[in-house]
Amino acid sequence: MLLKIAWRNIWRSPVRSWVVIVAIALGVWAVIFLMGFSTGMANSYVDSAIRLEVGHLQVHHPEYLTDREVQFVLPQADSVANLIAAGPGVQAVSVRTLVGGMLSSARGSHGLRVRGVDPAEEAALSQLDRKLVEGAYLPEGRRNALYLGKKLADRLGVRLRSRVVLTFQDLEGNITSAAFRVAGLFDVENNGFEEGTALARREDLNRVLGRPGAAHEIAVMLEDAALADTVATRLRNRLPGLDVQTYMQLSPEIRLFESQISASVYIIMAIVMLGLVFGIVNTMLMAVLERVRELGMLMAIGMNRPRVFGMIVLETLLLGLVGAPLGMALGAGMIRWYGRHGLDLSAYAGEGLSEFGMSAVIFPDVYPGMYVELAAAVLITAVLGSLYPAWKAVRLRPVEALRKL
Amino acid sequence: MNVLDITGVTKVYNPDTVPVHALRGVDLEVSAGEFTAIVGPSGSGKTTLLNLIGGLDRPTAGQIRINGIDLATLSANKLIDFRRDHIGFVFQSYNLIPVLTARENAEFVMLLQKRPRAEREARVTQLLREVGLEDRMDYRPTQLSGGQQQRVAVVRALAPRPRFILADEPTANLDSVSTANLLDIMARLNREEGVTFLFSTHDQRVIDRARRVVRLEDGQIVSDEVFDR
Repeated sequence: MLLKIAWRNIWRSPVRSWVVIVAIALGVWAVIFLMGFSTGMANSYVDSAIRLEVGHLQVHHPEYLTDREVQFVLPQADSVANLIAAGPGVQAVSVRTLVGGMLSSARGSHGLRVRGVDPAEEAALSQLDRKLVEGAYLPEGRRNALYLGKKLADRLGVRLRSRVVLTFQDLEGNITSAAFRVAGLFDVENNGFEEGTALARREDLNRVLGRPGAAHEIAVMLEDAALADTVATRLRNRLPGLDVQTYMQLSPEIRLFESQISASVYIIMAIVMLGLVFGIVNTMLMAVLERVRELGMLMAIGMNRPRVFGMIVLETLLLGLVGAPLGMALGAGMIRWYGRHGLDLSAYAGEGLSEFGMSAVIFPDVYPGMYVELAAAVLITAVLGSLYPAWKAVRLRPVEALRKL
Repeated sequence: MNVLDITGVTKVYNPDTVPVHALRGVDLEVSAGEFTAIVGPSGSGKTTLLNLIGGLDRPTAGQIRINGIDLATLSANKLIDFRRDHIGFVFQSYNLIPVLTARENAEFVMLLQKRPRAEREARVTQLLREVGLEDRMDYRPTQLSGGQQQRVAVVRALAPRPRFILADEPTANLDSVSTANLLDIMARLNREEGVTFLFSTHDQRVIDRARRVVRLEDGQIVSDEVFDR
């Protein structure tokens, strides 16, 4: 009966109830969209960082990451890579020779890191072959081919088949140079990577380096990022002389970024819910003050205070239970649509997002758990918003309330 | 046997600022099955007395006992439960719950008492039929006339079989036909159900039907007459 009265009471003033329901629905919708947008941005950043740069795991010589000195090569890198690739949960493995140096053209020069790779292995891991915009991705049979970021090519004023000179330190510590030819250009919507990284065939780089078969890094892509710690532990046991690190250890900024995004989402949720609390308090207070006489009568004929309190709380909860699903449906529909088609921000912030390694097209995403959290937040908000009006209701003295017009 | 014993009840409003003496040492006994009207001019203390008897307010001094229970010993929450279980209220302006139908309003107090559904339905259907509202059971208060609403209020008060019913000016908003109709119903239910009725009124039509008339003036009982009707 209490539920029936509460439900019918909220429709006594349909316009007022709809105003609150719409406010709740819009608040929920806004939070879902912001959650989805933030998660989409975080995913874009994390995916870009994992795909293009670190993978889920990396294996190095124990001293390599300290100074990134070229002489700290992995012993028997190819055998180690085969062993890793054979393990469970591993999707792709790429053996890399890494050198840091200077790339020079007729117009200028620019510092960069060259990644010597097996093209097929690297494509399976970083999918950089899909980012090709001109030329070819490290074509077979073409010696000293270089796969260069389009932004760096523009900066150096080079085009396809342009000759560039790569200068770096060899394994003996001598400065050495080699001529490369631009075979392909890529565009990855990550300015830092595009201007600071080039790919070459590993055998070409090792030839210049003076040690065939050399490698500094084995990057590993797993079937699921959640497996990173488990696989890393297993590899540390299997490869005791090597340094095995997960993407979270290699790029702590990923965790920072994720936690910042997550924190900002909760802050936004709290602000929206705070706004809703005041809206609900205002509406429910009006509902109570309009029914003073009726509430007095209910207490006079025997409805005790906990029941009166419960009725007001229930009315507010029902408003939330109508508004929240509406907002969730609206938000989920929007996330679904933009999740499929993407939200293109290139006209507003494309360059800025690329600077931070994010795509200008954001694909919003909301984890199912977020809907549960939001539903809980709305219900808690509704209960909080109902407490003061319900308290006002039970504080009424029937004898005085019955005299009210 | 007395259902109500009032001894030396005084009620003073605003005792610290501008004291208003609404009741001055009222003594009254009411036996089971009475059909009593408390009459008097406006401001004589009728409604105050009914509020005190109903436990809606506390006296400044004196004692009110219902079925031997001193209302002063009950906490505010216990008093609400006491009202629910022992007293039926009929208000001047009906005070039905606007979102419930006549039947739902009528069974509301029984529902608060957690009476079984079958008992509620049987009792309310019987009473609504007795007051001539069998064809209005599923109507909401706004779809009923004033007289019909007041009959629903009487059924609501009677349904849980209280010790007595307090009716504050129950006919004040009714026309003469509705008043006569309501009084017939209450008199019949008083006879048939044996429930005690206590009215506050200055409606002569009600006074003429009461078997006992207690007259209040300036917060004091000035006459107490019993009639053989």
